[in-house]
Amino acid sequence: MWRKDSAESSDRFEYLQTLVTEFQDTDSEEAKEQVLANLANFAYDPKNMDYLKELQVTDLFLDMLTEENENFVEFGMGGLCNLSMDPECRDIILQSSGISLVTNLLSSRREETVLSAITILMNLTKPSSRSEITDPAILQCMLRFSLSESPRLRNLAAVFLQDYCTEEQVAQAEQQMKGQQTAVGIPLPEDSS
Amino acid sequence: MAAPVSNSSGCWGVPEVYKHHEQRKVCISRPKYREGRNAKAVKVYTINLESRYLMVQGVPAIGVMTELIQLCALYGAVEEYRPLDEYPAEEFTEVYLVKFQKLTSARAAKRRMDEKSFYGGVLHVCYVPEYETVEDTRLKLQDRRRYILRAVHNKAKEKEQKETAEKEPTMSSSDTATTSERIVMRHDKASDDDNTGEASNVSKHPSFPPLPLPPREYNYYGHKTQHGTVSTEDKMGTLHNAIIVTKQQPAPSSSSSQTSSDGHKGAKHRLTSKPSVVRFVPRSTNLENRKRKMDEAAGHSLDRCY
Repeated sequence: MWRKDSAESSDRFEYLQTLVTEFQDTDSEEAKEQVLANLANFAYDPKNMDYLKELQVTDLFLDMLTEENENFVEFGMGGLCNLSMDPECRDIILQSSGISLVTNLLSSRREETVLSAITILMNLTKPSSRSEITDPAILQCMLRFSLSESPRLRNLAAVFLQDYCTEEQVAQAEQQMKGQQTAVGIPLPEDSS
Repeated sequence: MAAPVSNSSGCWGVPEVYKHHEQRKVCISRPKYREGRNAKAVKVYTINLESRYLMVQGVPAIGVMTELIQLCALYGAVEEYRPLDEYPAEEFTEVYLVKFQKLTSARAAKRRMDEKSFYGGVLHVCYVPEYETVEDTRLKLQDRRRYILRAVHNKAKEKEQKETAEKEPTMSSSDTATTSERIVMRHDKASDDDNTGEASNVSKHPSFPPLPLPPREYNYYGHKTQHGTVSTEDKMGTLHNAIIVTKQQPAPSSSSSQTSSDGHKGAKHRLTSKPSVVRFVPRSTNLENRKRKMDEAAGHSLDRCY
């Protein structure tokens, strides 16, 4: 059993490497899920980030986003959520069309996946990616989330709208949403705003 | 001053039973090499799941709320707490909501208290981020980001320093250089515990080098979590020996406490560890504390602080 009392970081690297190898070699879905969750949890500690980068675990997580198995998706997203605050990992994700992959998952029925998606989008925001991340479609989604029954979803969406968008962008998205509703032929009451 | 909260603000409203409160079945199929010391369920922890707010279930309904909060306070300052009467509870047990001043305290408390026996019952402790306000969530994310960026920055600095040292002619073989580059961070077990929380599914109770047990009122967060296991479990059934608090010391600003609690992460440089949490400390022991602090500061190198 691997014990953590050694101070040698190479032990930690080897352990992570073994995990990645198991993930790639095993046929068992269950084992894959466990390893994936394991790696995602290791990604929470910045001490491990160098090793995970070396092992290209960011790509491994990104690969999970298009899997059918919802656990794979959820754990992969959790891993990315943990890694994406690191600037290098953020850039890797951006370069791999991360924004669209993550945005697709805003419609997931797994709440953890959606929460990770919102957080990742926030983490991916930098001057070069801002316009893509504040696309009206995404803002409308966040507006809907901000009315959700789930407090966590509401809060994250609120932080996104308040801290990552301008008031104009939010107002515009709101207008568009109203426009869509009236287009169905059901006018909104005058005082609905 | 931590005090019972009256149900005024929205975040203290009627709770719902959320899926993430439920204990998942423990995973029994792990291969040996990645079996931790404790059986664990398959779960991924992200910043969204963690929170300063904890829910404690399974507290025996025998009037031990004070003892429970004192136990929580071992892990860090408790800002607010209240019983969650509206939450479904097993017969003869109570459920409490506890808000810690810091996420790291909540993390430590959850890890140490979950599944532990307490006055004849077994506690189930989980994060309850749904009690956060928007501002709580915002601050949580900001703190996390700051922490990560600082860790990245420290690592970069270390690499730079190593590279500068390697360029010097006094440096020996290139082999040493290579291996030293690999060893980016020293493994700080206490900090692993504190900040990875559930992040490592391996071996949750590393063996610490023997340290003299500081008094429980002692402020050093790292020390607390090390001996926390010992004194906590000793005290679990005998908290009537604990000192009842009447006064709290003021805490420094959260950013400095963040620095002192998280800045140690693997970084070679040491920040001075100051008392960084508001503590339940009775008036009468303050003098004793100060004296002990002076003695211990002289003795310890504080190398076990997170």
